[in-house]
Amino acid sequence: MNANKIYPWYFSTGAIVLYLLFIVAPALLGIYYSFTDWNSYSSEKNFIGLEHFRTILAGDPTYLLFIKNTVLFTLVTSIAKTVLGLFLALLLVSGVKAANLHRMIIFSPQVLSFLIVGLVFKSLLDPNNGFVNVTLRSMGLDVLAQNWLGSLTWAMPSIMAVDTWKGMGYIMVLFIAGLLAIPRDYYEAASIDGAGFGQKLFRITIPMLMPTITIATVLNITYGLRVFDAVYVLTNGGPGNATDVINTAVYSSFAKGYWGLGSALSTILFVIMAIISFFIIRLMNRKVEY
Amino acid sequence: MMRKRFLFSLASVLLLSTLLLAGCNSGKSAEGSGKVTLTFGTSQSGIPRTGIMQTMAKEYEQETGVKIDFQVVPDAQWRDLIKVKLASGEAPDIFNVDVDPLSMPANVRPEENAIDLTNEEFTGRMSEEILPTVSHNDKVYGVSFAPTKIWYVYYNKRIFAELGIEPPTSYAEFKTISQKIKDKDIIPFYQAPASGWYQVLPLFETGPNYEQTTAGTYEKLNNNEMKVADMTQLKTVIEQLKEFADLGYFGKDFLSNTVEAGIEAFGQEKAAMLLRVPGTEKEVSEAYPEMEDNMGFFVMPWGDNQTIGVNPGGSAAMFGNKNSKHPEEVLKFFRWITEHDHLQRVFDEGEGNLTICWPEIEPKLTQDYIDYEKNHEKGTVMQAAVKYIDPQWMDIGKDLSGMFAGAMTPDQILQNIDKRRAEQAKVLKDEAWQ
Repeated sequence: MNANKIYPWYFSTGAIVLYLLFIVAPALLGIYYSFTDWNSYSSEKNFIGLEHFRTILAGDPTYLLFIKNTVLFTLVTSIAKTVLGLFLALLLVSGVKAANLHRMIIFSPQVLSFLIVGLVFKSLLDPNNGFVNVTLRSMGLDVLAQNWLGSLTWAMPSIMAVDTWKGMGYIMVLFIAGLLAIPRDYYEAASIDGAGFGQKLFRITIPMLMPTITIATVLNITYGLRVFDAVYVLTNGGPGNATDVINTAVYSSFAKGYWGLGSALSTILFVIMAIISFFIIRLMNRKVEY
Repeated sequence: MMRKRFLFSLASVLLLSTLLLAGCNSGKSAEGSGKVTLTFGTSQSGIPRTGIMQTMAKEYEQETGVKIDFQVVPDAQWRDLIKVKLASGEAPDIFNVDVDPLSMPANVRPEENAIDLTNEEFTGRMSEEILPTVSHNDKVYGVSFAPTKIWYVYYNKRIFAELGIEPPTSYAEFKTISQKIKDKDIIPFYQAPASGWYQVLPLFETGPNYEQTTAGTYEKLNNNEMKVADMTQLKTVIEQLKEFADLGYFGKDFLSNTVEAGIEAFGQEKAAMLLRVPGTEKEVSEAYPEMEDNMGFFVMPWGDNQTIGVNPGGSAAMFGNKNSKHPEEVLKFFRWITEHDHLQRVFDEGEGNLTICWPEIEPKLTQDYIDYEKNHEKGTVMQAAVKYIDPQWMDIGKDLSGMFAGAMTPDQILQNIDKRRAEQAKVLKDEAWQ
């Protein structure tokens, strides 16, 4: 083989070995375990075929609720983070004062662990002594004070709001980088042609940002589908199972010692993520042809 | 040149791998220094919150040079964590597990994971009541300090006297006095669903009442001859809990209440009744001296219950990790901590428990408790006598929270309990479910 072709492999060998060892092998093992009855109560691992998948997809309606919650969470937070991230990015590149400071403040929740964010928001959203309800009541808006994390109506929207607050700064930074990469000539030419803000936004900015939007959307969707910490810290899936998602069910299955079932849930999540990511990338890439 | 680069890449990979492995192994550095460190994993409530175990462990270190490193995990996560740690071979040298005779063998798998303590001298000194909960196949594996556990409803005598009310002996009376307390803008009964387990107590601590009403209930449940969903008395208790929630007797927005905050609510007289174990008087009056001699207690009146529910297993027991690198040191620590004087210290400087599962230690039960127990029948709580109830305790807690919020009905809760029992029975290949 040509030395130039071999050369890159020298440097990538280590990374490939580590990747195979710590990513690919455990993933394949996980898929294998999803076809077994592996559990913490016995040393045996018996092959049981598709039984776990039948339980999840056809046998138990609560699993369908978890899948529905996951999809809903993903959809709402992805749209919210993308729209708010884009809005903030446009604001901060438009010459607003102290843009760097604002950028840092909006981005800062991203570097915090969700454990900390969750504990802070649990305190803020406490129905009796939390800042949100205390403020609303002090303004005479008692009717708006809610049991944010304990009611069926408000628990999921509250988690979505906290997650969006935490994640939109990262998306904003991606959009700022994308916006700064768009040549100014396009806008100048459009101005000469008499284009307004809306026309520039929809005819230049958004089409030129499509690669960034693609990345942001895929990131948001994969994060949304993998959500665990936000739900676990804020509501632990409650009240009842109202805010449980696939990954809290995976956690719960593993915790109970039902490792085969937990692996099957993870496998289903993996397949959903792979399919959605594949179609989004194909769809978005098509639109890039501007 | 090319070969040199290849060798350089290979060396880098090996160096990285070595660093990774060294990082993974860093926890064992204490061995290199010649000093043994035993890890002790426990839930928060597995050891006294007063810190007496940690204090004594420091003294043990000074005496023997063996350090005990405590890893204390929140109650709600420990059950799950220890199961995974045991399975992955990463359990601490000593680990605490909540025990009962039915689920301990499945949760701990003692023959594979726990040091056999059968022939230890201290094993013969533990109470007969606790031994079945820490034993399997005629071998003893656990050491416990836990008292036989009873949950009573504690009440504020001053509030009761001011309102002219008496401790209830039926659910109807319980409701009537709760309404009177609520009318005074005091929370009648402190409930704590946010902790995950507390709200489940009324369902199964009143188990002896079900057994008395329909003899043989426990046996039929264990033989899979009846379903939990068929237990009308249990359904009644769940419906009564829901009624209390809807009537505001647990307070407004009580779903975010935690067990820890209960002492404060009760001590500050924001709540008039609180479900706790004997010894609560000490804990409350230490934090709120004005509450001393202001606390009475009565048996849970859910479902018109008047029987004292006794959990012989109490709560946590210590197990020595069979796969520990220092089994001898673990045994030495167990022998040390179970010396008479050390047991006495754990009891005296603990959280105020009035009994301990070592007959040689004089109990501190007051005459009130002795008289009350004389005047009431006793029975074993459901989770200590019926299979596959205790392992799903936290799941039932979640379902009850869902019911309080309006997402589930009592019937659905009962069906879920049966479903999870069947799941566990299947995993454990229980013949009664085949």
